[in-house]
Amino acid sequence: MVTREDVENIALLSKLFVPEEELDSLTQSMQEIIDFADTINNAPTSGETFDNINNLSNVFREDEVVESYSSEEILKNAPEQAEDHFLVRNRE
Amino acid sequence: MGTIAKIHEMLTTKQCSCTELTKSYLDEIQKSNGELNAYVNVTEEEALKTAETVDKKIASGEEIGLLEGVPMTLKDNLSTKGIETTCCSKILTGYKPIYNATVWDILASQNAVMLGKTNMDEFAMGSSCETSYFGGAANPFNTNHVSGGSSGGVASAVGANIAAYGLGSDTGGSIRQPASFCGIVGLKPTYGSVSRYGLIAYASSLDQIGPITKTVEDASIVFDAISEYDEKDSTSKGCMGGKTFSKLDNDIKGMKIGIAREYLDGVRDDVKEAVLNAAEVYRSLGAEIVYFDLPALKFALPVYYIIACAEASSNLGRYDGIRYGYKTEHYNGTHDMICRTRSEGFGEEVKRRILLGTYVLSAGYYDAYYKKAQNLRGTIVKAFNDAFKHCDVILAPTVPMTAFEMGHAVSDPVETYLTDICTVPVNIAGLPGVSVPCGFNAKGMPIGMQLIGKSFGEAEILNAAYKYQQAAGENFKDTKWGVKL
Amino acid sequence: MKYELVAGFETHIELATKTKIFCGCTTQFGGEPNSHCCPVCIGLPGTLPKLNRQAVRYAIMAGLATHGEIAEISKMDRKNYCYPDLSKAYQISQLYAPLSIGGYVELSNGRKIRLHHIHIEEDAGKLIHQHGDTYVDYNRGGVPLIEIVSEPDIRSIDEAREYVEKLQQVMRYIGISDCKMQEGSMRCDVNISVRPVGSETLGTRTEIKNMNSITNITKAMEYEFERQVDLIESGGKVIQETLRYDDATNTTSSMRSKEDAHDYRYFRDPDLVTINVTREEVEEIKAMLPELPADKCRRYIDELAIPEKDAQLLTKYRRISEYFDEACDGVKSPKTVSNFIIGQMFSRTETESDKEIFDVKVTPKQLNELVKLLDSGKIRNNLAKSTLEKMLDTGKGALEFISESDMGGLDENTMIELCRQAIESNPKAVEDYKGGKEKALKALLGNVMKNSRGKADATAAEAKLKELIG
Repeated sequence: MVTREDVENIALLSKLFVPEEELDSLTQSMQEIIDFADTINNAPTSGETFDNINNLSNVFREDEVVESYSSEEILKNAPEQAEDHFLVRNRE
Repeated sequence: MGTIAKIHEMLTTKQCSCTELTKSYLDEIQKSNGELNAYVNVTEEEALKTAETVDKKIASGEEIGLLEGVPMTLKDNLSTKGIETTCCSKILTGYKPIYNATVWDILASQNAVMLGKTNMDEFAMGSSCETSYFGGAANPFNTNHVSGGSSGGVASAVGANIAAYGLGSDTGGSIRQPASFCGIVGLKPTYGSVSRYGLIAYASSLDQIGPITKTVEDASIVFDAISEYDEKDSTSKGCMGGKTFSKLDNDIKGMKIGIAREYLDGVRDDVKEAVLNAAEVYRSLGAEIVYFDLPALKFALPVYYIIACAEASSNLGRYDGIRYGYKTEHYNGTHDMICRTRSEGFGEEVKRRILLGTYVLSAGYYDAYYKKAQNLRGTIVKAFNDAFKHCDVILAPTVPMTAFEMGHAVSDPVETYLTDICTVPVNIAGLPGVSVPCGFNAKGMPIGMQLIGKSFGEAEILNAAYKYQQAAGENFKDTKWGVKL
Repeated sequence: MKYELVAGFETHIELATKTKIFCGCTTQFGGEPNSHCCPVCIGLPGTLPKLNRQAVRYAIMAGLATHGEIAEISKMDRKNYCYPDLSKAYQISQLYAPLSIGGYVELSNGRKIRLHHIHIEEDAGKLIHQHGDTYVDYNRGGVPLIEIVSEPDIRSIDEAREYVEKLQQVMRYIGISDCKMQEGSMRCDVNISVRPVGSETLGTRTEIKNMNSITNITKAMEYEFERQVDLIESGGKVIQETLRYDDATNTTSSMRSKEDAHDYRYFRDPDLVTINVTREEVEEIKAMLPELPADKCRRYIDELAIPEKDAQLLTKYRRISEYFDEACDGVKSPKTVSNFIIGQMFSRTETESDKEIFDVKVTPKQLNELVKLLDSGKIRNNLAKSTLEKMLDTGKGALEFISESDMGGLDENTMIELCRQAIESNPKAVEDYKGGKEKALKALLGNVMKNSRGKADATAAEAKLKELIG
């Protein structure tokens, strides 16, 4: 059972606001999707384990310095920046 | 048909210059994109610059590669340095990557002429292209119909001849399904054969980049070019199965083509008939058709949605208005800023999947959903391995239906998810799959069939697909759109 | 009622790799803001991590140095939480299959603080809050860390301090981190609870986050212990929560607001593959590890007859212990070497950081030569001491200051002559000695030693003096 509280909690975890008036319909819609997901509970649990596709292991890089980007480039897409920092301005 | 081979020939025999060719594509985009909405960003300047480079090369008598100077497009979730890359989401508006996706590095180094970035479902979440922030791309066969999704823009552009080919991404069918809807070819390669570096992630363990082309031959050419090992992607393996082009015309006499009965359940009659007709074509080519059961497929769809949404909820956490993209205007503190930015920046379907993914990973539900789904993923992988003991390739429908009318997809999420039922198993098992046109329904809408191969078995499925296309070429119809070559 | 403190540590240590854990950016401390960054470590969409081999090796070394079991199969997980210092909104870490399992740190009282596990993960960036605005710098984002998680085995503030110091010492010894708490390359979270002495059950714990000095750790723990005891004694209940320690006020306060939901939704990171460490690799790394401080200390005490306190001083820093080992090569009395180091050399390396660097002008080989001169009886202790001072001033070898004539014993006749001279020129001392003042003989002996330039055998000279005085 998906409850309103569940939806509120996962919305908070997801950093999403759910307007009060949409909470019921969203809970309902989540319930439908979860019911659908619940069909896997009928599947027998097998001994198969899944690690990763292609069963890769030990893919490493060597500890060699690669030149970093300039801070100008790093900050190029920042909605706000100041003094070479990304900025979240909280003053009005 | 403006295939790669044809364009290459035109350029090398100087029937037209690359600049002329590029301009004709750009003109056609200008004319038709208003109705098709395939492109979300046309990069005219860059395209003409590359065309000029190619022309200089040709003029100086240098040899050019197969993909050199061929006008193409990239799905808008492939990072292009300095060129806006939005995933067709409000939250990435204005974002210009400072690096290139590896696939684009490869193609750009071969002087591919990129005409622009194409439309897609927001963050590749959808099966109709309609969740795009910019509205859906239309089907070139009937613009009241969807192009399919999520790589709808690429399929629409290639289907309408306003790009010779394009690269899309396929997480649960996003290359094959729109290719099927638009009557063209779409290859989802084996997980690991094409680098994911620079592909904006939806579900990392399922995503794979691949070509959408007019013909199997073109798909093979593009796949061979982009399937390289990439040290930037830890899951990259490169072209383990070898290059495919030279094997396209191999004799398929004695090839065992398997049909899993489960793939035909719930499939529309016209689609089923077209796929079974294709089986007959194969029989006539000397292949052997074997029927078998694949009961594990029953759980593929919920397993897919659980894993995809779980990974998506994590992959999409980073859009917080701090480093790039959209940021809300009015807020009260950092937490409020992040929540508002995300709530305003993401569309409904994306939010729904983030919430679902968060739910299945959250304390108390992880075991029942995510862990169980991973376990079943193992079962499905094994089921395919077993199936390939009895056959060489699997033949199935790509989509249980043909392209539907616009506005009909988004109402009921679960119903919409069902359109992915034939495509998701391949992603779950990491296998290659190619969608090839195999006929039209009564309304003239294209039907696609899917050939599924063993891990790194691209050469085999492209071989089978090529042979079919040669034998049944009448399945191609040029639309009224685009460049006529 | 008497209460007992129960504490466990989560210690984050930055590894001394040249590059970050998932990209090639430098890990150098400082630098202009956001100048040690690339698309990977600022989490640009589409970028992928690639694991630094050296970070894994260092973490294996840390596991082995703390007696942990290195997991044959380990995996990277995502820890999801959204905070501006975390560029991907998840931290790549290990939960389900960490690299090193178990192990312990042994304290001087013989107690073993068990470790739960050690895992590798990435560091977050740095936030600066100014006038309500938040400035973000990702230079530190992606620097490799190990997190050493202990069991709740610590029972006192002293044990806590020693535990942290021991970890610091071991990690520096094996060279995987400089463990500078003031620069943040070592940070501790403490889980702390109290219970009546004798009780076996654990009380409700609180967690004090991110302390950056040993002083703060002990002060915060003292405060928190008192606070919990007071709370229980006054009928209250400890709430499980995360606390911040404020060293200005010496208090702890709750850190989390209602905005921070607490569910990390860990799952396997699909962008990274399995880490498979073979037994051979573990053995190879084990063989490369230097002798650990605890083993060295034990060896100095048992085999070299160094007093325990001195052995601890010698093994506190790897450089000193290596200096000592080299200087001891082939000497008869390692204790003499130890005395020179702890005595004269330590007085020239006064601070802890001086000792850690241990940059003295005399090479271990030079000290070794000096001690061998002593061993062979060619020079006496006083001469050795004064010579060492000159060596420490100049960096020159002992033979620069000791002439041929200084060496070799004093012949019997000269010695007797020097004794006679001492008696003749010090009649007062002779009188005193005869009157029963044993000490007066020392003055005479000093005179003999001085005039022989330290070459006289003190025992023989003393016997001769007694004989001559009668």
